Amino acid sequence: MASEATTFIKKVSSAGDDYYHILGIEKGASDDEIKKAYRKLALRLHPDKCKEPGAEEAFKKVGEAFSVLSDADKRRKYDTYGADALRGGGGGGADFSPEDLFEAFFGGGLHP
Amino acid sequence: MQPASEEKSYAVGIDLGTTYSCVGVYKDGEVQIIANDQGNRTTPSYVAWTEQERLLGDAAKNQVASNPTNTVFDAKRLIGRRFDDPIVQADLKLWPFKVVSDGTKDDKPLIEIFYQGVAKKFHPEEISSMILTKMKQTAEAYLGHRVREAVITVPAYFNDAQRQATKDAGEIAGLRVLRIVNEPTAAAIAYGLDKSTSAQKETHILVFDMGGGTFDVSVLAIQESVFEVKATAGDPHLGGEDFDNRILSHCIADFRRKYQSDPTRNQRAVRRLRTQCERAKRLLSTQTSVTIEVDSLHEGNDFSIRLSRAKFEELCLDYFKKAMEPVEQCLKDSNLPQKAISDIVMVGGSTRIPKVQELIKAFFHGKELCKSINPDEAVAYGAAVQAAIVSGHGSEEVQNMLLLDVAPLSLGIETAGGMMQVLIERNSTVSTSKSQDFTTFEDYQDHVDISVYEGERAMVKDNNFLGKFTLKDIPKSLRGVPKIQVTFTIDTNGILQVSAEDAKSNKKSEIQIANEKGRLTQNDIQKMLQEAEKYKGEDEISKGDMLAKEELKVYFQRFDKGIQDLDASKLQEQDRERLEKKLADAYHWLEHDGLKAGKPEFEAKQKELQAVMNTETWTFAGHLHSALYRNDWEWRAALLVCREF
Repeated sequence: MASEATTFIKKVSSAGDDYYHILGIEKGASDDEIKKAYRKLALRLHPDKCKEPGAEEAFKKVGEAFSVLSDADKRRKYDTYGADALRGGGGGGADFSPEDLFEAFFGGGLHP
Repeated sequence: MQPASEEKSYAVGIDLGTTYSCVGVYKDGEVQIIANDQGNRTTPSYVAWTEQERLLGDAAKNQVASNPTNTVFDAKRLIGRRFDDPIVQADLKLWPFKVVSDGTKDDKPLIEIFYQGVAKKFHPEEISSMILTKMKQTAEAYLGHRVREAVITVPAYFNDAQRQATKDAGEIAGLRVLRIVNEPTAAAIAYGLDKSTSAQKETHILVFDMGGGTFDVSVLAIQESVFEVKATAGDPHLGGEDFDNRILSHCIADFRRKYQSDPTRNQRAVRRLRTQCERAKRLLSTQTSVTIEVDSLHEGNDFSIRLSRAKFEELCLDYFKKAMEPVEQCLKDSNLPQKAISDIVMVGGSTRIPKVQELIKAFFHGKELCKSINPDEAVAYGAAVQAAIVSGHGSEEVQNMLLLDVAPLSLGIETAGGMMQVLIERNSTVSTSKSQDFTTFEDYQDHVDISVYEGERAMVKDNNFLGKFTLKDIPKSLRGVPKIQVTFTIDTNGILQVSAEDAKSNKKSEIQIANEKGRLTQNDIQKMLQEAEKYKGEDEISKGDMLAKEELKVYFQRFDKGIQDLDASKLQEQDRERLEKKLADAYHWLEHDGLKAGKPEFEAKQKELQAVMNTETWTFAGHLHSALYRNDWEWRAALLVCREF
């Protein structure tokens, strides 16, 4: 059991930002395949199930991969521009007003 | 102390409710919901102080009308909130007990009571810890073992501070809190285990959880043994008590009209009336009208009013309708069409209200509601299962289960212009971490303030402030050059930690958010633990008294039975009479002096009776004694087990 978990942890942590690789699925995987792969990994890596070092970090990566690939919009963005496109702007899904956008471009800094 | 009880320890699940609490344990392959010493499977979340002692649960609630200012309830409506919170200010007006500010910048609320002539102040966490202690004792009495670990549930829509404070309450009660679990998620486990046969393909359920004080909606996907929360929404301040208050206001208005006098300052009157309003509300779930009656309510005037179900619904309709908003929101957030929901699971006492059922049924176009699980016990049931999963004590079926829960609110930081920059979106599966790079706003800026907020609005001023910290000694450079990485981490309890790091200098700064937001410090918790121990000492003394009294009563019965059972030939009539007289005297003593007596007196009385046998009645003592102690080791062992606590 322990060695199996270790294999998964290694695989996930070496996969970088390749969400498909993290979940162990093909690029063209269906929603159902994505879900199945996620749940299989979650059962093995969730901190409730696995006390191996690095399991929680691996679980978080699996969660991140799933949250992107299970959302059609985010998945399209990821497929086209890569993981960074989904980070920088953050707050995906929030509605930005023109003022917000202005702030995002010209503000965005942290106050002293 | 028996060594066995040291080795074996159970982890329990506790539903710490606004009005009632419930405890369960996973044992021998199934969940047991545990009845308290009154035989009730739920315990009022009440604590009271009388002249002599502290009362918990049923004992506290039963005396509320005669002791309104020293009987505390609704601690869950205060926990993790500030005194100046408008919700707290509104609730204050309805509570008979006194709540004051702690006077610090955190503005924490404190509950003030009088005990043995002295004013005492308690944090809401302490009140909650007392209720948790009661639940812990209930479980220990049932299990015959100590309970050291627990899973405690909170409303899914509880924020970071409220979760932290609940966890602290567990620690003050001497419990290691294995996990803070969301109530509707716990209920979903109870539902899922019930239905485990059909779990092969993915199903979606909606849990509608409306209790005494809070309201949650969650949508879950269940497949085989994985329970995945897709979305959650709710109102942390909506429930049965709000409906009680509406009925109460209606009654008070009627009383004013009838008698031109105002009973609202009469705490006892309000409390008596409230109890009847709660009763009426419950009855209206099964009958179409009730009479609320209180004799001599205020200034000698009797009060009586007829309340129909239709009128009750009219009084509370805005609340009921408001409850449909989170349902809509939650469905939307889960990205599921309405027809994908295969079951609507109703949890919490308020889901018994026909109008609530009717509205949700109408929302789902007449779909039948699932009422197969007990609405009062489902949350504790699921918490007990989760306790078994986390502590690794469950059966194989339970060990294969996995619960994937979400964070209820978006979390982010303030950036220029008072904007909220979200790092973790609401309904993200926990645990999770997110990092994002930020930079400076001005040239040669050497530090940044990082203010953390939760909520869904674009501007931070509209969201809930969690805490603030400073990253110092950033190497000076032009604005926009430094790279500051901010990382948010939410653990499996839904509790947040934030750190910031300057890439160039590797300077790091972090906070556990709640420490900043009026959370109790470890010092506070230690102090409260000691205080709780002191009460435990007092409780144990009165428990010792009670046990000694019970032991004496048992002895009486055996004594009596021993006399009756004895062969007439072996006991002369005059001896029998003398013994019966002794016993009658002892009974009389128990009924009168015994009311004020403590353990030493009870034990002395028992010794006295034993002496009677040993000296005066040598001739038949042997027979009587063997009759008395036939099963002696059995009940003595039972008493020993009781004394463990």
